[in-house]
Amino acid sequence: MDNGYRPSIVGFLCNWCSYAGADLAGAGRSEIKPYLSVIRVMCSSRINANLILTTYLWGADGVLVAGCHPGDCHYEKGNYYARRRFALLKKIMETLKLEPERLQLSWISASEGKRYAEVVNTFAETIQHMGPSPFRTHIKL
Amino acid sequence: MNEKIGVYVCECGPNIPDRIDIDKVLAEVSVIDGVKTAKKFGLLCSPDGKNFLEEDIKKEELTHAVIAACSPRDHEQTFMTVAVKAGLNPYLTQLVNIREQCAWIYSDKQEATRMAIKSIRAGISRVKHHLSLTKKELEMNPDVLVIGGGVAGVEACLSLAGTGRRIYLVEKAEELGGTVSKLGALIPHQGTAVDLFGEKIDRVRAQDDIEVITGHDVTSARGFLGNFEIEIEPQGDSSEIRNLQVGAVVIATGFGLLSSEHLDTNNGEKNPNIVSALEFESMLAQNAVVGKDGKPPRSVALIHCVGRAELGYCSKVCCLYMIKYAHHLKSMDASTKVTSFYTDLCLPDKSDQAYYDEAVKQGIRFLRSDAPSIQSAEGQVTVEYSTGGGKSASEKFDLVVLAPAMVPGEDTARLADMFNLPLDDTGFFKEIHMMLDPVATPIEGVFVTGCAMGPRNIPETITQSQAAAGKILGSLIPGRKLEPEVKVSEVRADFCTGCQTCLTVCFYAAISFDESRGISVVNEAICRGCGSCVGSCPSGAIRAKHFTYPQIYREVLEILS
Amino acid sequence: MKNPNVLVIGSGVAGMEASLLLAEAGREVHLIEKDSLIGGQTIKFEEVYPNMECATCMVAPRQQEILQKDTIRLHLLSEIKEVKGSAGDFTVTVKKRARYVNLVNCIGCGACYEPCPVSLPNLFEESLGEIKAVGVACPGALPNVPFIDPEHCLRFNGKKKDCQACQDACMFDAIDYTEQDQTLELKVGAILVATGFDMYDLNQLPQYGYGKIPNVLSAMEFERLFAANGPTQGEIKMKDGGTPNSIGIVHCAGRNECGYCSAVCCMYSTKFGYFLKHKFHDADVRSFHTDLCVPGKANQKFIQGAIDSGIRFIRFADISIEGKNGKSAIHCTRDDGGKETFEADMVILSPAMIPRKDTATLAEILGIHRDKLGFLASRAENLSPVETEKEGIFVTGCAEGPKDIPESIAQAQAAAGRILALLDESRSAVQNDQG
Repeated sequence: MDNGYRPSIVGFLCNWCSYAGADLAGAGRSEIKPYLSVIRVMCSSRINANLILTTYLWGADGVLVAGCHPGDCHYEKGNYYARRRFALLKKIMETLKLEPERLQLSWISASEGKRYAEVVNTFAETIQHMGPSPFRTHIKL
Repeated sequence: MNEKIGVYVCECGPNIPDRIDIDKVLAEVSVIDGVKTAKKFGLLCSPDGKNFLEEDIKKEELTHAVIAACSPRDHEQTFMTVAVKAGLNPYLTQLVNIREQCAWIYSDKQEATRMAIKSIRAGISRVKHHLSLTKKELEMNPDVLVIGGGVAGVEACLSLAGTGRRIYLVEKAEELGGTVSKLGALIPHQGTAVDLFGEKIDRVRAQDDIEVITGHDVTSARGFLGNFEIEIEPQGDSSEIRNLQVGAVVIATGFGLLSSEHLDTNNGEKNPNIVSALEFESMLAQNAVVGKDGKPPRSVALIHCVGRAELGYCSKVCCLYMIKYAHHLKSMDASTKVTSFYTDLCLPDKSDQAYYDEAVKQGIRFLRSDAPSIQSAEGQVTVEYSTGGGKSASEKFDLVVLAPAMVPGEDTARLADMFNLPLDDTGFFKEIHMMLDPVATPIEGVFVTGCAMGPRNIPETITQSQAAAGKILGSLIPGRKLEPEVKVSEVRADFCTGCQTCLTVCFYAAISFDESRGISVVNEAICRGCGSCVGSCPSGAIRAKHFTYPQIYREVLEILS
Repeated sequence: MKNPNVLVIGSGVAGMEASLLLAEAGREVHLIEKDSLIGGQTIKFEEVYPNMECATCMVAPRQQEILQKDTIRLHLLSEIKEVKGSAGDFTVTVKKRARYVNLVNCIGCGACYEPCPVSLPNLFEESLGEIKAVGVACPGALPNVPFIDPEHCLRFNGKKKDCQACQDACMFDAIDYTEQDQTLELKVGAILVATGFDMYDLNQLPQYGYGKIPNVLSAMEFERLFAANGPTQGEIKMKDGGTPNSIGIVHCAGRNECGYCSAVCCMYSTKFGYFLKHKFHDADVRSFHTDLCVPGKANQKFIQGAIDSGIRFIRFADISIEGKNGKSAIHCTRDDGGKETFEADMVILSPAMIPRKDTATLAEILGIHRDKLGFLASRAENLSPVETEKEGIFVTGCAEGPKDIPESIAQAQAAAGRILALLDESRSAVQNDQG
């Protein structure tokens, strides 16, 4: 359902699993909506609330953080920390009147090319449907 | 600023120009502040392409290079190497993915071009904040400490011997040999005689580069890969502390057995007709397999799996050694009735089942029963066992041998604490990666082999000791220096509040707390660059080299503008 | 003067581990791989036990390192033909089949597959999917470069000598019909065999109905169905397209015939169970086993978790499968004597792990023995499983006998260690390694 809005989405992908999965989506020529730009980090645990909230403040309508499936983290525990921080951040977003649905944490393995495409497209649709982020319209830096 | 950034768009043949308007991209990026030149090339990763890149970087006197092409997972290394050849620090480059994550996923050329420009702008913005990073070289000590002089430790020493390093073998007992030297015999297809270990022990003592230190405990450990400082002392005598400096440590401290007191002892009195595996080994070794009456038993019950249900794991070696006992009993007296009571038969090695089949042929009975119960009765022992369908039966035996579960050795917890090693929920040491690195721990340079890591049989233990040696031989090469990860984390002292949150998240124990300065310090020698600490720091005090906040924020800003 | 370099045969997890360790130590490694891609059998699995870890994620960094390390010379589509010499000084003759696609020019765009007129069953996918006569074994194959199968390619088998559909489609001059098979003479100091395993041919076990009853699958077939990069992208469907509600997993297929336990099947069978329960919450999943072989500190917990999730574990003394009304009726005589029949939509058979078909030839070429079961034999006394009776020749992984991934990796590291010690010029002469 296209309401014509073109969302700006930032995706933080971990180098070992999710970035590889995204590459595989490309190798498989999956069709992905052109609203999400990828930033590569070594581990999803590099990402924290500060980084994510700043991203919203600067105009992101949606943020996707992708890492390895629990148990598969290249650095063993990183994605568990990401998961914990993320859960906490979701709660904080409610108080900030920033819809928690604008933030998504997905576990994507290196072999899940098609799934990466599905995750991004579904998320893009959701964000498109939600329209511009309230942070984007009310806060100017 | 004074940057001279070169932007190179790889066409990747028709792959990219078909889907992205490269000329438009070049037109847009060439006017960005700091960009000295923006060019396209057919195939940058080809020999021609690499030459072109190298020459152009030199010609244009670039300070940074941004390459828009395929995934960094494919060619980041390639272009970093080209940069080095061109005299540019390899970390002043950025590979922007406009193939897998742009040209190949956006079917609309306009959109694809827009997204490509966006990512290249982000790459340019990011690269302006890149810092030159250089590979460090660390002196290291190639010597090794092996803790534990049983079969695992002895094998580790022998595998390391003669490779230009000193090996210290520290054993708490007065004699080398560990548990295996207490065994009466080995399983035939796993080695024919305990004498063979005697030979290995002799060789260890004869080697010039192995120093055997018995009767000593390891009491403290500091340092990291290539630079450990270990203190050892004679058992119970702290006045004679000795310092050892080594580059790696192999922990080979073995296992314990679950106590079978609840089965073999009644009212503080040990029943000589109920013996546990090691007691039986001792009987075998002394050729004194007898019951209470001093006579060889006419009937023997072998009870497998003692403690298996309670502890929740199978100890792997018991079925095999019980079959060994059965064979020995039969060979001493073919008329002896031997019955094995087990839950599951664990015969994982290729020759195990043949060994079992032989035992069956010799008339040894194998009865499946969960948790048979044992009771003493007038010089004999009654074993009550289930026969399926809720029914049970009981038989009397002259001798009962118990196979208790293998449990962590008594030194495990203490050494884990000393070396900062995790234990898993069974109490054994925990591998850094159960699948891919079975003898290594999260503490780089500290290895665990043999039963200290979990139930193992002898061939596996030997393999693991050789594996630990292999890892050491491959990384601590005398004369060579260590080259740790470049993209590590760094604590900026001015911002650190000393909360120590970072210490709690570092899986590799690469962060320590400097009490005198009240700040955390990252050990760059063992940091893996994951950034967990960076993400956890409430003050933003830790910098992730090559993934700094300014670098990431610049990418974010460009994406959102 | 010992040649410090090493030849590794097989690029599965064991071969890759050893190659990387040796390369790290500064040795040049010739990695010989029979197939067109690296990674061995592990890359066929979606997840591995006991942590249900993503196998491709686990192995991919290693594969990348192998491809990018200068000192590892990878020879694909290659087999060894002759070995001469002794430890420290071997000369190995390697036959390298032509790939017909240039590994440097090809960028893996895949444009050549579509126009190829020939489709054939893809062996990597256990024939559940197809591959063209020019193609890669699976999505994500490394190196990401196709190869031409000369047996099926119309140009090479003579059926249409002028066909050049793939070359016409290639923009990188990567297709080279003139490429020739090569014979290489490689000089190395040590040889490591890491050629892996095969699975027992289930067609030899008529009582299971494999190949006759639809929806009776082998473990490897199920692995490929399960895999996200497999022929069905991870969708588990029956032959008629429906999803299974009842699945029987039968362990020990071929155990009696082979005479040994394959050590890994109870665990991977349970892995299948976990996956099925996760995908089809209400499905009736039953695991039929003889002894549960779950040695070690983590494995029994895995089984217990499966039991807790509702998978029934049934111990059998005798078992057979009959096609009945479109389902597979598993007739089992339980260990307690009782009989039961489970009518399952789908059956997965876990076959014994057997030596690869070419083991006999390989052993002869290397001048080493096989054991009674056909696996490559370690030195007598078995006190060093990775060393064969011939100095300088080592064996690791499932080529030596059935084992799981951690054990294969440990053996690979052990063999690499023994090789580094053997070829160490500074090595003192005191050591007597034989005995």
